[in-house]
Amino acid sequence: MEKQEFKIKWGMVIDLDKCTGCGACMVSCQVENNIAPQQDASNKLRTLTWMNVFEMNNGQAFPDHEIAYLPRPCMQCGSPACVPVCPVVATDKNEEGGIVSQIYPRCIGCRYCMGACPYHARYFNWDDPVFPAGMEKTLSPNTSARPRGVVEKCSFCHTRWGRAKERARKEGVDTMDMPQEWYQTACTTACPGGVIQFGDVNNPKHSVYELVRSKYAFRLLERLGLDPQVWYVSKREWVRMLGDNYLESEKAKKHA
Amino acid sequence: MDSNLFPEGHERCSLGRFLAWIVFLGLFLGFGGYAAFVILSQGLVVTGLDNYFGFGLWITFDLAVIALGAGAFFSGFLKYILKIDQLKHIINLAVIVGFICYSGAMLVLTLDIGQPIRAWFGYWHPNVHSMLTEVIFCITLYCLVLVIEFVPIILEQKQLNKIPFIHHLAHNLHVNMALFAGIGAFLSTFHQGSLGGMYGVLFGRPYAFREGFFIWPWTFFLFVLSAVGSGPAFTMLVATFMEVLTGKKLVEYKVKTLMAKIAGSMLCLYMFFKIIDTWYWATSYLPSVGLTFDQMFYQTIYGKWLMWSELGLCGVLPAIMMITPAIRNRPALLYTAAILDCIGITINRYVFTVQTIAFPALPFDKWVTYTPNWAEWAPAGLIVAYGFVVLSLSYRYLPVFPQEKALNAK
Amino acid sequence: MGLDRRAFVQLAVGGVVGTLFTPIPWKLADDAAIWSQNWPWIAKVTKGEIAFKNAISKFCPSGCAVSVRTVEGAPTLVQGSKDNPLSQGGVCPACAAGAQLLYSPARVKGPMKKTQAGFEPITWDEALTTLSAKLSAVKGKDGKVAMVSGDQTGTTSEVFSAFVAALGSQDFYLMPSEGQVAGKAWSIMGGTGKVGFDLKNADFVLLVGADAFESWGPMVRNKKTFGSKRPVGQPNQATYVYAGPVRNRTAAVCDQYVPVPADSLTAFALGLAAQLVQAGKSIDTADFADFKAMLGNFSADKVEKLSGVKAAVLADLAKKLASAKAPLVIAGSPFGQGEGAATFIAGAAVNLLLGQVNKPGGMKVFADFAPVVKGAATAKKLTEASFADYLSKVEKGKASPEVLLVYEANPAYGLPQAEAMSKVMEKIPFVVSFSTFLDETAQKAQLILPNPHPLERLDDLATPYGYSRAAYLVSLPVIKPVADAKPTPDLILGLAAKLGLDLGFSTYQDVLKAKTEAVGASWGDVSKGKLFASDVTKDVSGLNLATAVLAKAAIPNRDPAYPLALAPLAQLNVGTSALATAPQALVTIRDTELLGNDMFVQVCAETAKANGLSQGAKVKLTSSQGECVARVNVSETVMPGTVAAPLGFGRTAWDKFTRGKGDNLSKVLALSPEPGTNVSVWSDTRVKIAKI
Repeated sequence: MEKQEFKIKWGMVIDLDKCTGCGACMVSCQVENNIAPQQDASNKLRTLTWMNVFEMNNGQAFPDHEIAYLPRPCMQCGSPACVPVCPVVATDKNEEGGIVSQIYPRCIGCRYCMGACPYHARYFNWDDPVFPAGMEKTLSPNTSARPRGVVEKCSFCHTRWGRAKERARKEGVDTMDMPQEWYQTACTTACPGGVIQFGDVNNPKHSVYELVRSKYAFRLLERLGLDPQVWYVSKREWVRMLGDNYLESEKAKKHA
Repeated sequence: MDSNLFPEGHERCSLGRFLAWIVFLGLFLGFGGYAAFVILSQGLVVTGLDNYFGFGLWITFDLAVIALGAGAFFSGFLKYILKIDQLKHIINLAVIVGFICYSGAMLVLTLDIGQPIRAWFGYWHPNVHSMLTEVIFCITLYCLVLVIEFVPIILEQKQLNKIPFIHHLAHNLHVNMALFAGIGAFLSTFHQGSLGGMYGVLFGRPYAFREGFFIWPWTFFLFVLSAVGSGPAFTMLVATFMEVLTGKKLVEYKVKTLMAKIAGSMLCLYMFFKIIDTWYWATSYLPSVGLTFDQMFYQTIYGKWLMWSELGLCGVLPAIMMITPAIRNRPALLYTAAILDCIGITINRYVFTVQTIAFPALPFDKWVTYTPNWAEWAPAGLIVAYGFVVLSLSYRYLPVFPQEKALNAK
Repeated sequence: MGLDRRAFVQLAVGGVVGTLFTPIPWKLADDAAIWSQNWPWIAKVTKGEIAFKNAISKFCPSGCAVSVRTVEGAPTLVQGSKDNPLSQGGVCPACAAGAQLLYSPARVKGPMKKTQAGFEPITWDEALTTLSAKLSAVKGKDGKVAMVSGDQTGTTSEVFSAFVAALGSQDFYLMPSEGQVAGKAWSIMGGTGKVGFDLKNADFVLLVGADAFESWGPMVRNKKTFGSKRPVGQPNQATYVYAGPVRNRTAAVCDQYVPVPADSLTAFALGLAAQLVQAGKSIDTADFADFKAMLGNFSADKVEKLSGVKAAVLADLAKKLASAKAPLVIAGSPFGQGEGAATFIAGAAVNLLLGQVNKPGGMKVFADFAPVVKGAATAKKLTEASFADYLSKVEKGKASPEVLLVYEANPAYGLPQAEAMSKVMEKIPFVVSFSTFLDETAQKAQLILPNPHPLERLDDLATPYGYSRAAYLVSLPVIKPVADAKPTPDLILGLAAKLGLDLGFSTYQDVLKAKTEAVGASWGDVSKGKLFASDVTKDVSGLNLATAVLAKAAIPNRDPAYPLALAPLAQLNVGTSALATAPQALVTIRDTELLGNDMFVQVCAETAKANGLSQGAKVKLTSSQGECVARVNVSETVMPGTVAAPLGFGRTAWDKFTRGKGDNLSKVLALSPEPGTNVSVWSDTRVKIAKI
């Protein structure tokens, strides 16, 4: 697909050298996106975790065994693999901002998009959401609860962007150039480690602008060409190497 | 009791025996129907599908039966467009098998999608970039074509055909059959291709991704070729299987060898390109994204044996067997070759569906395996049983095999 | 009847077109699709006015300063309070699920009493009458009423301790915590006031055991500080080293990990002290000479023998500490409890040797806030009273309380030797639980008088342990209780009045207002979420180094019958003893930690091989005091000879989200008196592991 650049490009920068895998981002994501709790959440093949923290290691034995935690939201790819495959236009790459949105009332639940996504960022709603009695009163106003049978995913909490734009219009601020803190995702604000930064990677006033250009920044599976809008940062080479697939010869070259 | 309904001059088993057979099939229909009810009322949570395997047995089953059902469009194309007249002896069966495969696949697809009520969104909100849109349109339209092709066979039923209106209608449909065969060939080529394209376009899935020509990845063409390389063989096998069940000769052996020759030729062509494609994928594409051929396989369940079976034992071998007259003229070898051919194509559809999504693209992710559960097997069983029912009814009451009378003359 | 070709085509086309123009199928399809988009059984989202209110959420031991988003007054999201130095916008995984916990299925819906048939709802009148009758019967009798509280930071402790004292008993206890041991250790050293650690200004931080990014101190603040010292893509402004038995979550992000068995943390710290003394560092205390002499037993070689830490590694670390501008050593428990006083003392000694006391980036000492409730226990007294020891006394018949009051604590589940402790509690005739949730202790109680959820109540937070400044914050209710709950401190004040006891206050709000004034803060500020904090430090002259204690306590005592060291893991997403995993936090637990109803213990390949264990094997962990079952996960994050295991599973009460999942590791934790101090210790629990 042809790529077109727009003024705003929402991007996330996740510092893997700070993440302790505590799970606060995941909890906040569950809460903000009205994901119903499951009695058995240990079957990870059936849970809904728009934000999911992976654990990775350098493959060494104790005591050289290092670990790192990798929070994985939707990559909001520049060239999403999921969008062109949807038969009913239930998902699209937004022009301004570049968020890959999912239109739940349109989705027929064919799951082709899930098959297309190498990041496992898309989830199928296997069962109707059931909240313990009363808990529905604590639902977030920013996302509807999805019925079973549709595919759902991280949206960079995009309703919060809408609210930020509302505020900007009220306060006479340019909606294309808002202060970074006006629009933040739930995982970003929740993180007790300041691991996640979020903003417009095209806006020099936003912290992420510089960060994505860091020599330590990388994206997942760049070689497959999905052009993610989520960057990871690590000073540890083994962590960066796990961001993509490399042949042994290429690894040797990188180490040299 | 129902002998008045039998095709002119044919003998069929007793009604009691037939009913017993139908009741036996009904068990599978009932169980499948129960599973379908459970799935529709409770959702896909009852299946063995999961976050990693959004596609599983059903999609494999659909793709396999659609490939094997390709005998219908390809025989139709050869008979009506290329005018290979000998195929008239088996074309009715090819159409019925095609109809069963396509209608069955559509039934399963209805279960497979999470919101069956919105299935029609595929037409109302089509995404022209999606291979699946093409599949939805072509499959449903082609299924309609198959209905139109099936109708005259039904109308030729002895009692129905006595009604002048029906007689004329059937006649008119026959006269126009070349048109439908043409439309069918076009539609079917496209959706067989699109089914392959569905996987080939997945650039996030190194196991399946293929470059290609214009908007079509190589898998588009490979799926068309593999379908025509196996569909006729499957139709021929069905005819043979019916001969075993009925104890009668239904199709001349010459016709069967012709079908095998057609399948074999196409399979040769397919294997030629498939091997080049695989070679290029393994030695050029995979290294370009930092992966090796070995990394594409895992233990036994997603092992290399699948690929070697698909390409060798169930690919090159049956292709050679079917194009070699000395071999295909020996029934046992012919049927063996046809069976291997069908297995090979089924493996191909399976690995493209399941292994594609089983391979963990993220280096820190792990292989996950998938096993379908009863809720998935039961509807698949339902479709097979449904196929038997349609074939049984057709055979009993419709003039499916023009040669049957002559071949079984005492 | 003739049908020619044209007629046939007309009929076919006409039929198809005709059908298409019938509105019925289209309308039906459309209606059905619209229905599928509005299924009545799918929860609807409330829209309306959105507001943000500051509050304190006490689901984690330190308490989180939070900002609660409400929609039409109903809490919908708990985030960190941005302007509060304790949270800086961040929130811990336990508090993040707090709004939804308002409607936890485990909530106690109203007051209940235990009958033969189980719990029976009663009125508040009946509940209070029953309780006040029980209490007036024991009023004035020494040792007949006891109370335990899990609120480590609130002024509730003043109200409760004063109440218990006024009833004639001295038995008010806090649940065991890191801060309690630190306070006790500081007293042993002759220190007064409270100790904190200035992470913010430190450029080299050595964490000895202390799991600073999960279970030690104000976790959110610690992590925020760590983050701010390590700007993305730029040189680090501070180096972090973790020493402990497991490369845990904290160690995962530290620059260096030094494997040290849990029972050798003191020896390890003393080894560092020895290196520093060798390099010429000293402390100005009367007993320094003794201390120096004692350190002869902790030369690098000797420490290597005791702890396995290579002499070179120890020397290198000491060098790094000595050469840092603002080094800081934090010694504590790897799981937030159960460590002895010696570890803290050894850590403090290293800080003293480095000259890092009351200096930027060092250990800070400041005055505790004075109590405002008449007869309340002092902070010092609270650090000295151990509830585990008290229950041991009850078991031995040396104490025989008639009534036990339990506030925000779950001793029946969370104390070491949990099973035995829980049995001892059965000896107490009348147990009253003030729990918000039906926890294991509430289930054992005769009376449950539910306390409101943290967002439903007036509460305060005074200097969580570890924070470098004396700090104070008040929290007003965000929402009225959604269950029939009444705030416990108000209830107690009411009871006091009823029983004719004078605590000087009639409402908890008055208490907190007085406290605010005593602290020197403004009610208007602290009740709106603005943290009051004082940088005034306290003089530390007249300290001693408790040499005799260190000499005894630093030497590990390893019973060969239990060949493996146990390294419990306290992870906030799993919960705490007083909070079973929140429904929304269940997804954060890995399938290598809990799968179905089986929890996992972690061992490295070497330990697994030595014990004949393989991935997934079902095992039993047995200590001298108890056992629990689990499966094995082979993980190279754990030292050879150590088995790491999670706390927080094995719930027998609560709700379907947690009940019956895994086993309770607290049953295995074994108490032993620390040589020299008699502080009860269980961080050095040893176990054997066997396949079952």
